[in-house]
Amino acid sequence: LFLYFCTSLGQSYPGRPKIIRCRSLEKETFSCWWKPGSDGGLPTNYTLLYSKDSEEKIYECPDYRTSGPNSCYFDKNHTNPWTTYNITVMARNEIGCNSSDPQYVDVTSIVQPDAPMNLSLETKTSASIMHLWAKWSPPPLADVSSNSHVYHYELRLKPEEKEEWETIPVGVQTRYKVNRLQAGVKYVVQVRCMLDLGEWSEWSSKRRIQIPDGKSPPEKPTIIKCRSPEKETFTCWWKPGSDGGLSTNYTLLYSKEGEEQVYECPDYRNAGPNSCYFDKKHTSFWTIYNITVRATNEMGSNISDPHYVDVTYIVQPDPPVNVTLELKKSINRKPYLVLTWFPPPLADVRSGWLTLEYELRLKPEEGEEWETIFVGQQTQYKMFSLNPGKKYIVQIHCKPDHHGSWSEWSSEEYIQIPTDFRVKDMVVWIVVGVLSSLICLIMSWTMVLKGYRMIAFILPPVPGPKIKGIDTHLLETGKSEELLSALGCHGFPPTSDCEELLIEYLEVEDSEDQQLMPSHDNGHPSKNAKIIPKETDSDSGRGSCDSPSLLSEKCRESRALPSTLQTQNVRDVQEDKGGKRSWETQCIASEQKIVLFNDESTKLSTWPTAQLPDNQPPMFAYHNPVDAHKITLSTTNVHVARVLVGNEEKHQSQYPIIETCHDDMEKQRGMENLYSKTDQTTVQVKQNRPNDKPPFLNPKLMDYVEVHKVRQDAEPAVLLKHKENSRKTEKYTVPGTSKEYTKVSTVVDHNILVLMPDSRIQHTSVSQEPAMETSQNLQQSQAEKNMSYCLTLPSKCKRENNGSEYMDPSSFMPSFK
Amino acid sequence: PRRGRPCSRASAGLALLWLLVCAPGDAGCRLLTVADLFDRVIRHSGRIHSLSTALYEKRFPPRDNELGKPARKCHTSGMLTPNGKEYAQKIPREELTHLILKLLQAWKEPLSHFNQHIEHHQELPDDSLSKAKQISNMVHELKTGVEKVTEKMQSMGIISNSLNGMASSEATGLSISNEANMMSDSDFIHCFRRDSNKVQSYLKILKCRIMPENSC
Repeated sequence: LFLYFCTSLGQSYPGRPKIIRCRSLEKETFSCWWKPGSDGGLPTNYTLLYSKDSEEKIYECPDYRTSGPNSCYFDKNHTNPWTTYNITVMARNEIGCNSSDPQYVDVTSIVQPDAPMNLSLETKTSASIMHLWAKWSPPPLADVSSNSHVYHYELRLKPEEKEEWETIPVGVQTRYKVNRLQAGVKYVVQVRCMLDLGEWSEWSSKRRIQIPDGKSPPEKPTIIKCRSPEKETFTCWWKPGSDGGLSTNYTLLYSKEGEEQVYECPDYRNAGPNSCYFDKKHTSFWTIYNITVRATNEMGSNISDPHYVDVTYIVQPDPPVNVTLELKKSINRKPYLVLTWFPPPLADVRSGWLTLEYELRLKPEEGEEWETIFVGQQTQYKMFSLNPGKKYIVQIHCKPDHHGSWSEWSSEEYIQIPTDFRVKDMVVWIVVGVLSSLICLIMSWTMVLKGYRMIAFILPPVPGPKIKGIDTHLLETGKSEELLSALGCHGFPPTSDCEELLIEYLEVEDSEDQQLMPSHDNGHPSKNAKIIPKETDSDSGRGSCDSPSLLSEKCRESRALPSTLQTQNVRDVQEDKGGKRSWETQCIASEQKIVLFNDESTKLSTWPTAQLPDNQPPMFAYHNPVDAHKITLSTTNVHVARVLVGNEEKHQSQYPIIETCHDDMEKQRGMENLYSKTDQTTVQVKQNRPNDKPPFLNPKLMDYVEVHKVRQDAEPAVLLKHKENSRKTEKYTVPGTSKEYTKVSTVVDHNILVLMPDSRIQHTSVSQEPAMETSQNLQQSQAEKNMSYCLTLPSKCKRENNGSEYMDPSSFMPSFK
Repeated sequence: PRRGRPCSRASAGLALLWLLVCAPGDAGCRLLTVADLFDRVIRHSGRIHSLSTALYEKRFPPRDNELGKPARKCHTSGMLTPNGKEYAQKIPREELTHLILKLLQAWKEPLSHFNQHIEHHQELPDDSLSKAKQISNMVHELKTGVEKVTEKMQSMGIISNSLNGMASSEATGLSISNEANMMSDSDFIHCFRRDSNKVQSYLKILKCRIMPENSC
């Protein structure tokens, strides 16, 4: 193949080169060397050409330099272990060229590593037997990165003067221990290596070593330490040096201070090898021992450095024993730890010869730092203030007082500080908590079941705002109402409540009329308060609304409502009566209001359904005035409509009040006004509030008182009101301004309550006599429950007039539920 | 009973006062038991030994193997003292007591001499001087205390009175003192430390021999 490249033109063409060998060091690269033939007297170029068995193409050597002259280096990229290379070297000069015989190369089969390096030899003596240690390192590689090859080694050695090598397979280790050496002979050692299935490397360069003949004197021994465990005996230990290959004897010699005589160790055995035990007889205190150890073998001896010992000061006791940890409870049930221990058994502390002091250390199991406590001479210790729930490790050591050194630490003792002391407390608290929550639950449950009575007990019903205009306070006191509702009135059918309230009212009115009259004179309406609840309770039998507590609660709620309506009279009354009484009277008043309200509802057959919408508005109303207005508006419309119908049916005569109501209603329907009205009302509230400092108590009282006043003083009052009434009617024409009808002037035609603005002018559209009649009628009708129309009508009118005032009754009712 | 309490309390307070006020050897301290006195003198000797050790370690830092220095001869070396527990337990109490007193006596004069000496030669650190003075005083106190205990024991018949004859033989002490004055500072400190330890050990042994039930 390659001959084609050559043209033999003459005799002076170069001789044939010869490929000597191809070799890979590590299967990843390989090199080929050739031997040039004669150059024909001319400068000759050598070219290595190769082809692979898998392809026809001919390549030239990639690297002539790396492996030296007349060589070619195939780096990793040009080396493929699965390929057979056909290699030829061509020599060319001016005249012609000549090519070598082709060489077929399989990389795997030509692997031959370099020889191992850094062979070193060392003799060692263990147990008086001499060994030869040979150590080396693997062959170096051109590519250092591929250093992961595993070589197998072989070692050979022979005495220098002999011809025969002894070859020892080593394995993959890079050191070898040679036994069975002849002492006093000089050995020659070589190693070689092999990579997998390739060839053995060359033998490494020779190393020589003289094996010592083992007859040298021993090295100097060293005295490590002397120790007395109990201040009565002591022991010294030494460390032998090399024995020089011979069995060596060790002798401990000592002399005492002030004495010339040298003694030998009395007991080599008791304390183990390389030690000397001095029993009591041989131990004296307050004397310095001068101790040396002599190592002797056939070849000679060597003496250690002297060691000086005063036994008094080398006392190091054994660690304390029988360390016990015990948990005890103090009087206040706090646990504390009692540690007890015993001095080491060897130490005779009872004689007074040796006094021990103790130190203990402890730490939580997971902790890192020891807490060290010096205990003194006592053999017990109490530890307080340990963290419960942790596991502690405790150790104790001891030392003679004033001199000597600490013993080793005793073995670790563990103690788990229990948590149950704390847990017990926790359990108690948990039990208490569960019980209390259970009680709460039961209470709230019973509240829900019997709730209305309870609530009526706590929160007395609030009188309706019929007689006296109820202002925007409702809006502001919304929170209290929410509270009420939250207390569990929800489940109750509103109808029943209202009916009962109605009944109450009727009876109360009667009783009130009779009893309040004198009470009013006396200025002590408290009697009424007592009577009323009784009556209601017995009569109605529906405790939820009636119970005194509820009433009182309701009173609180209702305080807010009429605050705007307050008048001087009321204040006076209140002042006279004093705080306590005023409260009761308030309750009464509020009850009355509610009663009035209920009258309304009972009269209307559709009330229950209508009330549901009513219930909700007040709730919202306090949060969002606008919404509330809308809702109330709708509800009011319903009521008003009904009321109007009722009125029209039963009473042909329409009073101007009613008309105004209509007007207002329609205005409210007109809607946008509401907003402005609420604003006004709120403003009123704000203005009024500063006036009544006991803000909520007064108004209710007022209501109550006012009503009765009207009735009481019917005749004179009516007359006055008559005149005023004309003005009022005028006022009604301007609905926005006239808002406060807090007093009932008269009841007309059984059904109609005539209201008058209490603040400045009071108006009644009805004459005195009819008013009297109506009042009588009212009482009757209350008994019969017929009259509610009358009552409701004016109240509604009021609402419509005032907008926000109207809301009060309706919103109030639901709130109790 | 109610009256008795303040009385006992007062007497306890009084005893405490005595304990605090009475120096060993004070004639007023009659209430002290032998055990109390022993505890005191043992504690006292322990303090002396601690002081001497401090002095010693100042003079000879641990790295020097000072023990190895030859030709150290203490002036008390000639005294035959028990050099081990068994010996110290065997020796008659009176003799042991006498030995203790003898040792203390032997150091009395050399200590004051030593103090004068180091006052003039500032070889030692300053606080060494104060320590040495303290030691000197304490040794004196200790000797008085041990004498007190001895008296007490003799009066109680714990040990015989044969001690009196021995104690008076101070003639040997003089020559010993002279010897001590010739010692180097380091030897002096070394020797004193050793003897203070001896005294403490003997006192402890003596106490436990006489009152084995008492925290021994």
